[in-house]
This record gives sequence, C-alpha cells and structure tokens, in this order.
Amino acid sequence: MGNFNILKVVDRGKGLFTKLGIDYPVMRTILQVKLTMDRRRIPTILDNNRSKNKKGDANQFLKSLWVYGFIGLVLVPFLFFTESYLFPMSIVFGILMFMLMTSMISDFSQVLLDVRDKSILHTRPINKRTINAAKIVHVGIYMFYLTAAITAVPLAVSAFVRGIGFFFTFLGLIILMNMLIIVMTALLYLLILRFFDGEKLKDIINYVQILLSVAIVVGYQLVIRSFELIDFELFFTPQWWHVFLPPVWYGAVFELLLTTNISGILVLFAAMAILLPFLSIYIYIQSIPAFERNLEKLLNHAAPKKKRSAFFCKRIAQMICSDKEERAFYHFARLMMKNERQFKLKVYPTFGFSLIFPFIMIFNELRMSSWEEISSGKSYMWVYFAALMISTIIMMLRYSENAKGAWIYKGLPIHNIKSLSRGTLKAFMIHMYLPVFSILSLALMLVFSVSILFDLIVVFLASSVYVIVCFKLINGDKLFFSEPFEMAQQQDTAKVIASFFLLGAMVGIHFLVSFLNYGIYGYGALLLAINLLLWKKAL
Amino acid sequence: MNIIESAGKPILEIKNLSKDFGNNRVLTGIDLTVYEGEIIGYIGPNGAGKSTTVKIMLGLIDDYNGQITIFGENIAAGDQTYKKRIGYVPETADLYENLTAQEYLVFIGELYGMEAEEADWKALKLVRLFEIDNVYHTRIASFSKGMKQKVLIISSLLHNPDLLFLDEPLSGLDANSVMVVKEILAQLAAQGKTIFYSSHIMDVVEKISHRIVLLSEGKLVADGSFEELKQQNIEGSLEEIFNQLTGFDRHKQIAEEFTAIVQGDRKNGQL
Repeated sequence: MGNFNILKVVDRGKGLFTKLGIDYPVMRTILQVKLTMDRRRIPTILDNNRSKNKKGDANQFLKSLWVYGFIGLVLVPFLFFTESYLFPMSIVFGILMFMLMTSMISDFSQVLLDVRDKSILHTRPINKRTINAAKIVHVGIYMFYLTAAITAVPLAVSAFVRGIGFFFTFLGLIILMNMLIIVMTALLYLLILRFFDGEKLKDIINYVQILLSVAIVVGYQLVIRSFELIDFELFFTPQWWHVFLPPVWYGAVFELLLTTNISGILVLFAAMAILLPFLSIYIYIQSIPAFERNLEKLLNHAAPKKKRSAFFCKRIAQMICSDKEERAFYHFARLMMKNERQFKLKVYPTFGFSLIFPFIMIFNELRMSSWEEISSGKSYMWVYFAALMISTIIMMLRYSENAKGAWIYKGLPIHNIKSLSRGTLKAFMIHMYLPVFSILSLALMLVFSVSILFDLIVVFLASSVYVIVCFKLINGDKLFFSEPFEMAQQQDTAKVIASFFLLGAMVGIHFLVSFLNYGIYGYGALLLAINLLLWKKAL
Repeated sequence: MNIIESAGKPILEIKNLSKDFGNNRVLTGIDLTVYEGEIIGYIGPNGAGKSTTVKIMLGLIDDYNGQITIFGENIAAGDQTYKKRIGYVPETADLYENLTAQEYLVFIGELYGMEAEEADWKALKLVRLFEIDNVYHTRIASFSKGMKQKVLIISSLLHNPDLLFLDEPLSGLDANSVMVVKEILAQLAAQGKTIFYSSHIMDVVEKISHRIVLLSEGKLVADGSFEELKQQNIEGSLEEIFNQLTGFDRHKQIAEEFTAIVQGDRKNGQL
C-alpha cells in the first residue's frame, strides 16, 4: 500500500473531523485502502506477480485527467464577455455542472454504491459517521482532481482578464457547486433506489456513462467552434422561471457582486446558490440511514422481468438462420448485446458518433457552398460513417463480462462452432447495425430526397460484405464473448486501422461507379452476389 | 435439566424481536438467550429470516422491534464498541479483492483497533497454518473459493473475539481444511467463546452444535440440544427433524416429478 500526498492534505482537516465526532485515524486507514484499490481498478487477472503490481499501480483516472483539461478550454471564451456577467457565467456553470455531474455518476458511483462496505466495514467497531465521512472524502478527493483539471485554465485566465475579485468569486462558487453536486447525486440515487431496484439503477448509470462519452466527443467539436461565438452578443434578463436552472443562480452571484445591478430576483438566485449546498448537506445527513437501508436493494436481484414476446425475433431468426444451432446462437448473441453493460458502454457511444458525424460534416460544407448545392451533391456518402463502427464492434464482440461462461463452446456437443460466428454476425446486422443505419438513412433522405434510396441500399449491401471481411481480418478464429474485457488492449489497433483503409477503398469504388450510367445498379447486383456467396461459404 | 445454561453467563439476549420489510413480516417475536461457550447451530429454510437476525445483531439493520443485548449492552444505544468482541464470516465472500491478503488482513485488524505490526504478525502465522502463506502477498482477486474463505475466517478471528457469527464458514474448503476448522471451533468454544453457526449442511450442524435453533417463516420453531430435539420428534437425523418441523414432506414426490420431466418429451405426450 502506498502513501498518498492527497492524504497529507486531508490531514490538515484532522481537527475539524475529530470535532465532528469522526475517528480520524480509522477514516484515514479506510481512505488509504480505498485509494490503493482505485489505483488497481484495472483488475489483474493476468498479473498476480508482485513486482508487476508495483508497476501497474498507477491510477488510470489520474492519467485521463488531461481530457477534462481540454474540455475545460470550452469555458475560456465566455470569460471574455465584458458587457454582462449573468449570461456567460450561467453558461459556464451550466457546462461545468453537466460535466461534473455526469462524471460523478459514471466514475464514482462505485464509491457511493459499494455494497461490500456493508459487510466489511459496518460489521466492525467503527461508528457510522466515520464510514460515511470516509465515503464523502473519498468522492471529494476525486471531485477535487476533476474540478481542478477542468477549471485550472479558465480560473487562471479569469484572474488575468477579469481581475482578482472575479477570480475569488469564481473559485468560491466552484467549491459551493461541487458540494451541491456530490450531495445531489447521492440524493438522486436515494430517490432512484426508493422506487426502483439495484438493476435499474445500474442501467441508469450505464446510460449516463454512454451519454458522457458522446458528450465528450461532441464537446471537442464545440471547443473548436466556441471560439467563433465570441462575436455574438449574449445578454438576457432574468425571469422567475430561471429559478429552476441552477447555473443561473451562480451567474447571478457574479452580477450582484461585480456590477451595480441589483434586483430582488438576482438576490433570490444568489441566495439559492449559497444556501442550497448547505441545505442539501443537511438533508443528506438526515437521509443517510434511509440511504444505507436502500443500499441493501443493490444486493437483491431484480424482480422478474415481464416476459416480452419475442415473436418478430423468432420469425427473423427462422428466416435468416439455416439451422437450429445457428438460431440458438443468434438469440444468444442478441441477448448478450442487449444485456452486457460493459459492451454497451464501449459500443453505444460509437452509434452516437455514427449518427452525428455525417451531419457535422455536412454542416461544415454548408459554410462553403449553398444548401441547394449540397442537397444535389454526393455528401450523402458520409453515410459510410455508419459502417466505420463495424470493425470496432466486431472486435468488442469478442469480449464479455462473463467470459468464463464460454466453457459451453467447448463443453457442450456443438456440431459446428461456426454457427456461433454466423448467428452472432447476423444478430449484429439485424439488431444493431440495421436500426442505426435506418435512422441515419431516413435523416439523410430528408436532406437529399428519396432519390438516394438505391445508393443507401448499396451502402447497406457493401457494409454487409464489410462485416465479414472485418470479422475474418480482426477476429480470425477467435470466438465471440470468450475473452474478458480486461484483455481488450491496443493489440489489434493496426488491424482496425487497416479495416478503415479498406472501408475508404469501398467508398472510393462506390463513388467511381456512381459516375457510370447504370453503374450503381451493376455494383448493387455484384454486391448482392458477393453477399450470398460470403455468408454461405466464408463463415 | 439444561446442562448448557450452567455453562456460563448470558452473552446474547434477544427479546421479542420482530422485523418488517415493507408489509412483509420477516421475523415474529423471537426470544433467544445464548450463553458463554455455546455453539449454536442456527438453521432454517431459505428466507426464514436467519441472515436478517444476524444482520440485526451486527448493526447492519437498525429499524427493528424488540430488544437485543450483547455483552450486557443494548445494541440500539448506538455505541459500536460491542463489535470489538465480535467476529463475522459473511455468507457471500465479500472482500476487497484488489488488495493482497496481507493488506486486507492488516486493514481489518486495524479496524478492530489492533496495531498494524501486530495484525501482520498474527495474520502471517495464521496464514501459514492454513497453508496459504505462498499467496499472502497476492491479490485476493486471483484466489480460489477455498482460499478466499480461509482469508475470511482469519479476518474474523484476528482480534480474538468472544462472539463469532459464522455463515456457511466451510463453503469451498477441502475436506482436510474442514476438519481443521471444525476442530478450531470446538476448541474456541471450550475456551469460552460463543459461536453462532448458520448453515444448510445438517450433518455438520448436528455434529458440532451444542444447541440447535430452528427458524421457520420468521418464528422460532425449535430450540434445544440435538438429543432434546430427537426426543421431541420421531425422526432420526437432524435433516429429517428439519423437514418435519418446517412442514416439508414432499421431497419424494417432487423428485419423482422432476425425473419424469427429465426423461419425458413433449411430443410423445408422457406428461
């Protein structure tokens, strides 16, 4: 177990903690253990070797902080609005709150919801206050790192641009906001657990994680664009309903402290900004026992799901699978893709990108050419972005949270293990690729009219060929759902990049063929033939 | 006639304990007094309320009706110090698996107020006796079920507790280790420790317990030594007494139906 500098910072508060009735040495011990475990968050199925452990003892979270630092840059332009405080600072706090709240939910839920604490800590002679304090300080330490990474540059810029008074107001409000976020997240969990069971909560956390990773990538786009916003004039007058927008409270504090504008509503907002964090902490302390009680629910498994009829799935499987074994694997793969949270976390964000990027590209063109030019052009070829996700997902399909379950592939009398690949790839095409592709196609047809329909069909046929090529190229003879996620290293990056080039070539062919008379129909027919051949013979 | 009661002073007293989860009554009017040096076999069907009782006694659940006194103190008073003299082996092997066995055991020792060096020294000695000293500095995540169980058992005894709550403590252990642990329990009891032993394996409970407490649907349905239970019931083994007292007599019938379904098939319409 290592020593942590951050604990020396926490040591400063020893007197305060002791006054609050907390057994400080015990809390410190718990924190030390928790931080040690965080450094080893990447489970070590493979390296049990002690010397290796030392090398691996680097906190993955801390390494990823620079991403947040970059996101923080998006705040900088807003610091240059000098006419008003209310609007730009509300935006700044809006972005901050979104980033911090989502990362709080996605990264630190494990800390708040660790059920092992129940039987390991609560059964020992430690008072509950100490355990809860350790929990809050633990989360607080990470929120501190995270907030520091996001706000370091904006804070420094603000000191230079807006002066020291602004800097300290900003800093103070960031601290208040953090308090509010930590407690609000805990209260949110309390509310969810009150009405739902632990499985539902885990699903909600999963979706927030997915949302966050999409937001980060779209955020990159915004960083680049936000600097163009500087010329805009942004100004608004506070309305009563803004009371439901927490970021506006913080904007109001700046307006009150740093300008001569004073109005009842601004005072109200500022009061909310300052008082609510303390009030919510009070509510939280009151509801800790209820929280602990509901935490029990996490241990309980969900109430039986209502059985939904899988009539269509069954019909489709009947139609496209050649035998019983393949059909069984088809349903198996469909359920695995639907239920594995790790898989969804790694794969669903790419859906988001596939849906968003074609439009970002088209809007980029909009700056150089007119709407008419674009809608009669060939920009719909960006639809191939949807196919870009195929190679990554096929690689991800190799992994599973329950990879040990893969003994059935060897342990059961399976006729032909190739049914596994066939069934899984078909399930992927029907239940993942087709829905995303359809949505994207519909959206593109709104822009480009229905005349691109045949091109879209060709793209789908081409992606169907591409799926098999990717599978052969990347997975070789590795079985689906048979390796733990921890194995998902960068080892196959080269192959994935190769598959991107291949896709580029396919886009090129499609593009060239579309200049020939009837070329696209010929290409379509050819692809159909290749498809029939590959799906039958290659797998 | 009760030889056991003369064995020592009361360690644990439960008076009229009831507990509801929502509208669901899990425990109804439990009364139980446990004396120093006793091994209590605490048995009952799944969902009878066994682990709820243990969780209440460990302070994991605090909204109950009734009174629980451990070491002469009412545990509802909010003072956690009574837990210093308690050791606990949970049924689910809850461990911080990213720690090494050494780190985990020292940590738990420290939570019980031991010095880190003392906990480490003691843990190492115990680990050697359990023959897992070669993985003392390895992360628990890579341990087999039996190895984890050994760590749990050591962590429950490190601080020399006077009262032990053990929930399926033998699960995953090999036959030799089972003998060692059973002997340890007998010797601890002989030294005056009190052991609360929950298990579904009736043969073991029958052999090691001084006194057997049977819970069914949240009520105490039997309390006494194995001999006493045998006198009150016609059946021979604890397993059969268990079946009789919990009102379960359909095992043959269920097994027959089960095997028939396994052998049958729908097309030939056997069923």
